Amino acid sequence: MQAFEIGLNPATFGWLLVGLLVAPVAGGLIAGVDRILTAKCQSRVGPPLLQPFYDAAKLWGKETKVSNVWIAFCSWMYFTAAATSCVMFFLQSDLLIIFFVQAVGAVFLVIGALSVPSPYSQIGGQRELLQIMAYEPLLILVFVGIFLATGSFNISAVYAMDKPLMLESGVVPMVLLFVVLGYALTIKLRKSPFDISGSHHAHQEIVRGVFTEYSGRYLALVEVAHWYEVVLVLGVVALFWATSWYAIVILLVLTYAAEILVDNITARLSWRAMLGKLWASGLALSFVSLAWLYAF
Amino acid sequence: MLDTLLFILIVLPFLAGLGCYVLRAEGVRSLIVVATGGILAAASVMLYFQTPFTYPVEASVQATLFGVSLDEIIMVADFLLLAVILYFGVRHKNAIIVALAILQGALGAYLEFGLIEHAPKAYPTFVIDTLALVMVLIISIVGSLICVFAIPYMKEHEHHLHLPASKQPRFFLVLVAFLGAMNGLVMANDLAYFYFFFEVTTLCSFLLIGHDETEIATKNAVRALWMNSLGGAALMIGIVWIYSELGTLEIAKVISQQHTSAAMLVALGLLCFAGFTKAAQMPFQSWLLGAMVAPTPVSALLHSSTMVKAGVYLVVRFAPAYADTNLGLAVALCGAFTFLGTAALAVGQSNGKKILAYSTISNLGLIVACAGIGTPTAITAAILIIIFHAVSKGLLFLCVGTIEHGIGSRDIEDMRGVYGKMPVTALITMAGVVTMILPPFGMLLGKWMAIESSAGSLFVIVMLALGSAITVLYWARWAGGLMSVEGGEKFKTESQAALTRAPLMILCFGAVVLSFLAPWIYSDMVVPLIKLSPYAVAAGGLQSGAGSFAVIPLFIVGLIGFGVAINALRKARSSHAFDAPYMAGIQSPAVAGAYTGPMNKPVVVTTGNYYLSAVFGEEKLTPYGNFAAIALLVLMFALGGLF
Repeated sequence: MQAFEIGLNPATFGWLLVGLLVAPVAGGLIAGVDRILTAKCQSRVGPPLLQPFYDAAKLWGKETKVSNVWIAFCSWMYFTAAATSCVMFFLQSDLLIIFFVQAVGAVFLVIGALSVPSPYSQIGGQRELLQIMAYEPLLILVFVGIFLATGSFNISAVYAMDKPLMLESGVVPMVLLFVVLGYALTIKLRKSPFDISGSHHAHQEIVRGVFTEYSGRYLALVEVAHWYEVVLVLGVVALFWATSWYAIVILLVLTYAAEILVDNITARLSWRAMLGKLWASGLALSFVSLAWLYAF
Repeated sequence: MLDTLLFILIVLPFLAGLGCYVLRAEGVRSLIVVATGGILAAASVMLYFQTPFTYPVEASVQATLFGVSLDEIIMVADFLLLAVILYFGVRHKNAIIVALAILQGALGAYLEFGLIEHAPKAYPTFVIDTLALVMVLIISIVGSLICVFAIPYMKEHEHHLHLPASKQPRFFLVLVAFLGAMNGLVMANDLAYFYFFFEVTTLCSFLLIGHDETEIATKNAVRALWMNSLGGAALMIGIVWIYSELGTLEIAKVISQQHTSAAMLVALGLLCFAGFTKAAQMPFQSWLLGAMVAPTPVSALLHSSTMVKAGVYLVVRFAPAYADTNLGLAVALCGAFTFLGTAALAVGQSNGKKILAYSTISNLGLIVACAGIGTPTAITAAILIIIFHAVSKGLLFLCVGTIEHGIGSRDIEDMRGVYGKMPVTALITMAGVVTMILPPFGMLLGKWMAIESSAGSLFVIVMLALGSAITVLYWARWAGGLMSVEGGEKFKTESQAALTRAPLMILCFGAVVLSFLAPWIYSDMVVPLIKLSPYAVAAGGLQSGAGSFAVIPLFIVGLIGFGVAINALRKARSSHAFDAPYMAGIQSPAVAGAYTGPMNKPVVVTTGNYYLSAVFGEEKLTPYGNFAAIALLVLMFALGGLF
């Protein structure tokens, strides 16, 4: 029944379009701003704001030449999953399911990378899996924290609250969870010190890592899928202060500025250091925060 | 009608097994196995239309088999069975097995001749509710498919071994009879019957694990026997204890109320302990890992539809009796710990069968954790995971067996690029992996329910979050590796025996279609059992106050995405413009997969998975894991009995 209602209800349909069409544009613009700001940090001029769109368009027009046809399959699966999870976010679905759908894309990105016997893409794929393994438990625990504060995993429950999520349950546990979310955000944005599987910068010790074998229009798809994912993760960040548009914008600007700063002042970690640091500090923070929420 | 169905489901497999043993011609045996499988599957489907029911319908009527009282048959068979186990204990000079068999015999005699008043019993011998039905369907359909798969498999298996005389008659005797014992176990309403079938499965798995009679097979079979005898002894003590507390052996009576007395909770704890040994929960995981020395159909059967499922069935069946107690919490902790611990152990493995074994134990841990949490949503999760795990895991074991026969190795590093040699099997394996870990498939649905229902328990949820992330790692790298080949031309489809291909196809199809039917399986199988409806079925999805999973809409979106992706793959293939993998621009022009190294010599590149053995190595983790698991077991009895 409700499946039909989604089509009929104009508000829901509107949000579906926002998730499907506006989100990737916003993601591309964020990437453009990011590149300019990062360039400024490094005393460079940087590309024009719309450069990410020019890049994607140029890639799309290139001749298709792949080293394994599974690259084509996996890039589309990644794109579908990323777009779906982003749309589900705007439809205020279950946070865990949104995240599991996003994981479909992450897994297919890796399967594509592993389907080519190039050492760079192989190592990139393995490292990408380690990154997934590092952030996944943290995100699940953040969602559990949101559940404990709101009584539901559905995003609609967050909007139904009359004060910001960040200020719930004595502030401290939610702030801790926000820090944990920041770890996951850093990985998802492919920023230092956690950009071990494939940096968003041009080159690293394993070239483009997990992206090495994606080329032409398939790389364009991966880029756009990444924009969807960035919007999704920033959306989760925004949930922490979702009572007004000003607050959302301020929170996102501050968070993203912090990400750019961290990216420029830290060095890439080894997988062992990444896993150790993330799990040790991330789990400790979430544990304390959840224990607090239970007691509350 | 009803007693015909029960006869077919429980007794027929034993008779068919004897038929395989006596009529030793290969054609006759194949016919018996295929026919029995078909009849069992049909009977289990007919059972679906009869459920729920009890047998005998008039509780005062005593069940008989061939005119003899069934109670007496089971009693005699019980002591005979213990005598056989005792015999194997003596033959393999294992003091633990001997001592446990004598202990169980003595307790059984005490129960039969000392405690029980032999008045005609006033309760039905068999109760078939939807939980029993789910188990019967899994055993009779998935189990039968595995038995059919075993026909060509064992032929090839023995072809490699060059035996003087075929040992297949005995193999199929045990394999097929196993299904009957499992069906009896899940439908029994009398703890004495339950115990008997529980011990039959122990003996069957001992015989199957030791089938090849190599030194290692015998050693592992004996280990499986002593560990499961430990569970058998715990079960027997628990039964005697329950009888002396409640004065009944009726399972329905035991689970009709929540027990809070320390004595009953310790007795129930013993039952759970028995379930843990059978389900190979930590620290008992070593017997199931050892079981992989047996021919692959045995592993597939033990892991998906029989044996270990008896263990989790026991824990889930009695969950209402210990719901909302400290025992329940402790059971949840034990299960969650096994889920995490064995997932971590799987990361360090490159042996495909070992990865499957650890993954099985891990998923069983998740089921146990759900049973321990015991809320309606958690029990729903437990039952759904039992169903979907049986299908996907049965499939994956058969895939590994098929690949092993094709390439002569079960190491996932050797399976790299197996898509080039066995494209159909590789694709089916890939599908199996996807149904194990990703939405919208049933396993993930179960995991979602498990996480949302354990969100109220701090330690459990942290372990589930960690374990679920680790699970993705070891599956995804395996699936990716399978596809790792150069170029994109279409590969020639491998040829396979029909009895090999058909079970693979049916299970693969089943894994997908059953996932699609998940909302209906829930309302048809789970709701009648828990007599509550914690999830509302709406718009082809499941919703509770805590969350929502739109199964059918996600399936539709997934199908569209899949269609577009396949189309893109076809287009990329038809362009015939393939590039060599990137080698930093120094690709060797002469040798494939190589770069031009020093002195202009081609250097072939080899890559492997990260096994992270410094952290996740078996020898590193196992001692700590077992120590913690034993501590948790002690905690379980302490929490249940003392507080």
